[in-house]
Amino acid sequence: MVASFDWQFIWDHLPDFWQGLKATLKVAGIGIAGSLAIGIVLGAARAHRIPVISWLAAIYVEVIRNTPILVQIFFVSGALPHFPGHPIRLDPFTIAWLSVMIWGGAYNTENFRAAFEAVPYRYREAGLALGFSRLATFFNITFPIGARIALPSSINTYVSVLKNTSLLTAIGFAELTNTAYSLESESFKPTEIYFALGATYLVVVWSLSALLRIVEWRLTLPETR
Amino acid sequence: MPDWVDPVAHYMLHEGLKNTLRIAVFAVIGSTIVGVVLGTLMTIRFLPLQALLRLYVEVWRGLPILVTIFLVYYALPTAPYLHHRFGAFTGAAIGLTLWGSAQVAEATRGAVQSIPREQHEAAAALGFGWVGRHRSVILPQALRRLLPPLVSLLANVIQNTTIASLIGVSELLSTGQRSVERLQFTSPESHAFVIYGAVMLGFFCVSFPLTRLAIVLERRMV
Repeated sequence: MVASFDWQFIWDHLPDFWQGLKATLKVAGIGIAGSLAIGIVLGAARAHRIPVISWLAAIYVEVIRNTPILVQIFFVSGALPHFPGHPIRLDPFTIAWLSVMIWGGAYNTENFRAAFEAVPYRYREAGLALGFSRLATFFNITFPIGARIALPSSINTYVSVLKNTSLLTAIGFAELTNTAYSLESESFKPTEIYFALGATYLVVVWSLSALLRIVEWRLTLPETR
Repeated sequence: MPDWVDPVAHYMLHEGLKNTLRIAVFAVIGSTIVGVVLGTLMTIRFLPLQALLRLYVEVWRGLPILVTIFLVYYALPTAPYLHHRFGAFTGAAIGLTLWGSAQVAEATRGAVQSIPREQHEAAAALGFGWVGRHRSVILPQALRRLLPPLVSLLANVIQNTTIASLIGVSELLSTGQRSVERLQFTSPESHAFVIYGAVMLGFFCVSFPLTRLAIVLERRMV
């Protein structure tokens, strides 16, 4: 026996979904901003082969990219409080944004490294010849050109950071997926709830990637448009 | 080595890692077959078909894999018309296949379109039909370009099998989690740090060679 699709139920629980969506967007926003910052700094360190920082960044990137994010989330929430000799306890919200940010930062470091390395070396030489310091050359030449090259690949990373927040349901953080999950366990309407959940994610993910593509288009240099 | 290590390692490798690799193999084979077929069809210039396939790709790439797996495992059994109940293992494999096939379809479309027009024309001139032309001439060339993304997909699918633990499949992560909980009954100190560290190391050892291989293959193609 299968009941028909109960639209009224979804309508009645829109405020719950909105609460969850707000938490998802908050965590994703912090995660995306953080991974942008990590990506620029460590990507620049990698591309310019700055000793020590560059090597540590390479290890960070390989460890994060070759282990599942769900294991990383469990590591931050379940293993760090038992760190031998020096327990690290964080509140759920910190665990939430920190783990998606660490993940996005590693992918973005790689995006920005490749992009900064793609900036022709003669441009940098030209900057140095004009008397710019190495730092000024980076901010005036390598960064404006390289960041544009990094945009298409980093857009995928930001969208993935948003999608990965759904995994925070595993540690009971009340974001969108977790809200739907708890709603299901008290109402027994899985079809309605998970279809509404899927539709919500599609709207948010598609809007975010459309928005980022508009930003990309606006930032494209006129001569390459 | 403390004596709790042996049974835990045995459990995590023989139960956990085995299931992780089993789901991954199913999902990768399924994704490759479905993805290559759909990706090739995407190159046909027929608007309704293109729109339908584009929707398929955008939906399964847009949804978080966890939500796709929840849809297959929890929502499908009570859905009107579609209702069907899958086991947790099958549900997870199907969810991962939907996501993976969308990735492969998009990569295949790009690879097929990168084959020069002349190849299509030459094959057509030799009397091949659409199916024969793609099977014997276009796809064998496109598949070479598809190899690096397929190796990366394998690494990603193996990592994403951990999501199956959230619907109760006992793969590597959930066997580790269960071991941490079980050991808490018998010993005063927690082994969470060591065990989650071992889970990470396990995934790293499987995934790192694959991502390296993908980079090497990518370089050799160019």
